[in-house]
Amino acid sequence: MSVTQTRTNPSGPAAATKCWSCQETGAAAHFCPACGKIQPLPAGADYFAFFGLPQKLTMDPAALESQFHKLSWKLHPDNFVRASEFERNLSLERSSELNDAYRTLRDPITRMEYLLLHLGLRKEGTTRQQAPPELLEEVFELNESLDELREARAEGGDTGALRERLAEAQQNFQKRLEEVDAELAGVGREWDAALDSGAGESSRSALLARMNEILNRRSYIRNLVAGVEKELA
Amino acid sequence: MGRTVGIDLGTTFSLVAYLDPATGAPKCISGPYGSNLCPSVVSVDPDGKIFVGEPARERLLTQPDRTIYSVKRLMGRGVADIQEELKLFPFRIDPDSRNVIRVRLGDKSFTAPEISAFILRELRSWAELHFDEPVERAVITVPAYFNDAQRQATKDAGRLAGLEVLRLVNEPTAAALAYGLHKQKRGRVAVYDFGGGTFDISILKLISTDEGEIYQVLSTNGDTHLGGDDIDNAMMDLARKAIQKGIGVELDPRGEEIQGLRKELIRAKHELSAAEKASVKFLAPNKTVDLEFQRAEFEELIRPIVARTMQPVRLALADSKLTPKEIDEVVLVGGSTRIPLVRKTVGEYFERAPHCELDPDEVVALGAAVQADILESGVKTMLLLDVTPLSLGMETMGGVVAKIIPRNSTIPASAQELFTTGVENQTGIDVHVLQGERELAKDCRSLARFQLKVPPGPAGLARIEVKFLIDANGILQVAARDLRSGQQHMIEVQPSYGLNDEEVERMLEESIEFAEQDFAERQLIEARTEADAILDATEKTLAEPRAAGIVSSELSAEERRAITDSVTQLKSALAGSDYKLVRQRIDELNQATMHLAEILMNSALQTALQGKRLEEV
Repeated sequence: MSVTQTRTNPSGPAAATKCWSCQETGAAAHFCPACGKIQPLPAGADYFAFFGLPQKLTMDPAALESQFHKLSWKLHPDNFVRASEFERNLSLERSSELNDAYRTLRDPITRMEYLLLHLGLRKEGTTRQQAPPELLEEVFELNESLDELREARAEGGDTGALRERLAEAQQNFQKRLEEVDAELAGVGREWDAALDSGAGESSRSALLARMNEILNRRSYIRNLVAGVEKELA
Repeated sequence: MGRTVGIDLGTTFSLVAYLDPATGAPKCISGPYGSNLCPSVVSVDPDGKIFVGEPARERLLTQPDRTIYSVKRLMGRGVADIQEELKLFPFRIDPDSRNVIRVRLGDKSFTAPEISAFILRELRSWAELHFDEPVERAVITVPAYFNDAQRQATKDAGRLAGLEVLRLVNEPTAAALAYGLHKQKRGRVAVYDFGGGTFDISILKLISTDEGEIYQVLSTNGDTHLGGDDIDNAMMDLARKAIQKGIGVELDPRGEEIQGLRKELIRAKHELSAAEKASVKFLAPNKTVDLEFQRAEFEELIRPIVARTMQPVRLALADSKLTPKEIDEVVLVGGSTRIPLVRKTVGEYFERAPHCELDPDEVVALGAAVQADILESGVKTMLLLDVTPLSLGMETMGGVVAKIIPRNSTIPASAQELFTTGVENQTGIDVHVLQGERELAKDCRSLARFQLKVPPGPAGLARIEVKFLIDANGILQVAARDLRSGQQHMIEVQPSYGLNDEEVERMLEESIEFAEQDFAERQLIEARTEADAILDATEKTLAEPRAAGIVSSELSAEERRAITDSVTQLKSALAGSDYKLVRQRIDELNQATMHLAEILMNSALQTALQGKRLEEV
């Protein structure tokens, strides 16, 4: 690996709409419409915009993939081996952004998390998740079974029945996860409809808050399932 | 402007290939011994002369302490990493080795990138002789599962060999490219690459788009220390036990006999791919031990090694979210896939016969040559989209690793992290970058530690944004931006297992001398061989003109004198060691004998036509 430390470019965002090469304005796309040179990433650009998409949550995966391939073909560093160092770096920056964006948007969950993160409504790894009230009883039982399993294993006892019970609980939670995913898809569609109808700030905020809540619940259940998987493995 | 080639820098063998403009197909270049395979063996004699390839392999038997093989196993690794390896390989590690291993060859010591550079330089000279032009740029292949340090070490080796490394390409991806060009197939392909020292599995999707073909890697997995070498070592273990039982002698693991035995065992291993049994004779001073390997016994011996390859296969498939049945084609790469048990195991798992119609030794170099041509010519006919094999992470509180770029992300890939201070007047923030899938920093591969310098101030005021970027070679770059202060700060980097820039520069200076010397020497040998041939032919013709069917009157006295003059000139040039002068004298002699050659040609033609009627001609 190599390391460099640079200072912030004071004229950063403002300069981005003007082509660095031919000075033509309106060069906000991947390439300058006038001279065809690759452009730096504009400040504050989001993954949706990178693909020329609105901030909607329902996407056609095949269309997204084919757009990914089209942009890869144009932006990949292979095209810039003989270009100037500046352009080589722009290609590296743009193509890595493309790959990051595709990786994030192709999965409905990371797509929604990204939207919330981008709108400043979600922070990664900061909230300590609490058990959703309707799951409290089940979670309690699950933890008890897990403890018993660990104990039985430590004492070399029979774990057969316990494992069966845990596998059953795991299936239960897996089913919950599927329900949550369906719920997320639903709220996603509502969000898209709200964008289409030009819904106001308050109704959009309410949808985003709901997404946040469901995502928290989802990650809680996922951790449970993963924990049980680990114990059973 | 020199040429560009594709190089497969292998554990056991290395190859160099180029795209033949006449056919548009990639082709391997053969060396002075007529083979495309250059054994990855390096030997240094007491006066510092370097031997690479076949001559070095011979010296493995006569001068084992001055000769090294399988150096790829040491690339990008620290002394602590290779303790297991040291039990099996006769590497003589310099006790002065620090973060970079140094290997002793006689009284000198070298780093793994330097030794690999000798191999690259040898291949470069094969190509230069082939083209009669300098070779300056190369695409070099690496195992897909190589980490950052191993990749960086390979890139350093290229630089030390005087090559601009246009790209590091993953071996299975290069193989898929050669395969795709060959078969024109589309769909999901699994490449099972079992070489001399490394194992890789890559799952790819071959897509036709309006622009061209895209080879998208979906997932990759592997083991950078699993290969044919391990099979050799298992056979060796068995043989040593048998010998000890037979003659009661424990063989010295670093002695000369062991290399002779190893060579014989490898031959037996190769034979067992076709035959049901193979035998090896071991000549001890007063007794001969006959060892016989039955195919079934051999398969039992290597079954655990072959089984070890299947775990990465399962993991790669799981990451690509595919089942074995959803794979359309399976491609076998690497010499170890010639073993019937390997083919059978892979075939059974994927429930289809794997492809092995391309030479498993050559296919990686051929793919590299295609990619080299695309990068060089700027004419893109296809695009490789590869992935990073290992997750990138940072050490956080309690030695836990926070993943910032997940494994199997398409590269280039990046991640940004914001750093701030935790206590008042803190002047630096320590960052520890790691690669691997484990949860604790101590179980992952340390790539580098560095400190972000911040101006003193209240806790939490500093805002340093660090951008981690994995480039198209799979090598990490880190850039830091101070979002608050306008001051520029330097990061002190300590690569955990690599050479720093100054070290590479210094080695480069040292190696340029080697390179020029090697090149001149090789050119001289070539020129001398050619001179000998032309002198021989000319002198024979002049001495026996009638025998050559020439009427001496056809050649003027002046022409004759010009020829003898040129012959004398060439001979005196041969006494020296200036290859350019020898070449010049060869050209002059060629000029002088041009008329003679014409006469010869005509007379040969006349002889051939004698007694034939015109219609028959």
